[in-house]
Amino acid sequence: MARDRGHTDDYKAPLRRLLLGVLILCLAVLFLLWRIDNPRVERFRAQVIDQVMPGFGWAMGPVTTTVNIFRDFQSYQRIHEQNQELRRELQQMRSWKEAALQLEQENARLLDLNNVALDPRLTYITGVVLADSGSPFRQSVLINVGARDGIVDGWATMDGIGLVGRISGVGANTSRVILLTDATSRIPAVIQPSGQRALIVGDNSSAPPIDFLENKDLVRPGDRIVTSGDGEVFPAGLLIGQVAKDPGGRLRARLAADYERLEFLRVLRDHGAQRVTQPSALITPSEVPDSGPSPEDAEAAESAAELANGG
Amino acid sequence: MADETNARRWSMRITYVGLCLLVMFFHLLPLSTVPRGWAGPDLLIALSFAWVVRRPDYVPTLAVAAMLLLADMLFQRPPGLWSALVLIAMEGLRSSGRRSRQDGFALEWMNMAITLTVITVIYQLILMMLIAGPPPLTLSLMALIATILAYPVVVLLSGVLLGVRKAAPGAIDALGHRI
Repeated sequence: MARDRGHTDDYKAPLRRLLLGVLILCLAVLFLLWRIDNPRVERFRAQVIDQVMPGFGWAMGPVTTTVNIFRDFQSYQRIHEQNQELRRELQQMRSWKEAALQLEQENARLLDLNNVALDPRLTYITGVVLADSGSPFRQSVLINVGARDGIVDGWATMDGIGLVGRISGVGANTSRVILLTDATSRIPAVIQPSGQRALIVGDNSSAPPIDFLENKDLVRPGDRIVTSGDGEVFPAGLLIGQVAKDPGGRLRARLAADYERLEFLRVLRDHGAQRVTQPSALITPSEVPDSGPSPEDAEAAESAAELANGG
Repeated sequence: MADETNARRWSMRITYVGLCLLVMFFHLLPLSTVPRGWAGPDLLIALSFAWVVRRPDYVPTLAVAAMLLLADMLFQRPPGLWSALVLIAMEGLRSSGRRSRQDGFALEWMNMAITLTVITVIYQLILMMLIAGPPPLTLSLMALIATILAYPVVVLLSGVLLGVRKAAPGAIDALGHRI
């Protein structure tokens, strides 16, 4: 017995250490592979999530609902206060509704006069939010539509009102939306009415800062921010939010989408979207903007110079 | 007797995997999609560390690696790096746990805190060196401190509820091996 025990210990410990070494090596190789060939490993990640999520999914809905019911229950404590608030808002809304109806009629008349057909390219697919990123370091959600439903990397995602994020990582049945608040999110935007172009740069806070603004003086808090469509990353004109100034004097975007409760998201079909297909591919504009005179001008100038030389 | 111990060991292994999945499940619930600005404890790490010091036979390396890699995948971390570091740390804790079976809890806690700090720093450094977008420092620090503070609670709960305690010195398992 004693000899037997010694024997098993003899081969067990090195075997375990070997297993550990191999495992650590595999993990390190996976990490390096991720660093070198990111799209491939991210595709693998999307597939893994696609396999795992249905296993969690059946319980996720009920548990989320239960927790939300408890949260709602807490808000009953100030129900009277809320009721008063709602009444006041309702009063305001009535006047707005009247205004909106009149404008709608006017708009319909004008559209009729002009015989305008609205852009049919922007159709959408609606998905339900399955899960969030699960860690405070990343801001993303998982929705229950994927490659099976024709979702493609890079499409814009909105809730009913404003832009929410960008599709990044598509599995067969699920896809991941990187929210505007994620530290890796960069969205080209234009600020109305001044027409200033800027980037909305996510930084893990609920109001992402506005960066690369040409002239800060032309932008006031309360201005509307919409996507600019630069670089064909997103269709132009999607509402992002409003400009707000934080106590430090920095301009930030107060997002129009209701990030408190993202439940249903619309993925906009955008067939013009550029895609990243190769490991080292980049999304670049088809022509570099503002790089001096346009090609026609340059050609004209060239031929003029030739004429001058010839003459 | 032998069967019973073996059955308990396997059931505890399954319990470990189940607990890990449960923790991940609660992390993934879409309850808050607003950036929180704070980070809670990494219970997966606290659980694995607490168990490997007490009963290494309940946390087989393969299961730990699988769970950590799954967490890496689900939580959008760079796959593999954090899991590899945690596996290395656990190997260190396993051998020191065997040596210091009679030492008090304070020493074990300090050991765990130092180990976790070291791997967190290495993790940040490697990501910084490879320009892979290391997580925000304040958040990582918050998660580190929260995990260290959560450790005694995890130890207490797994001791009281699941009976995961250090084996007495010289205890043997069903096959007569020293644990």
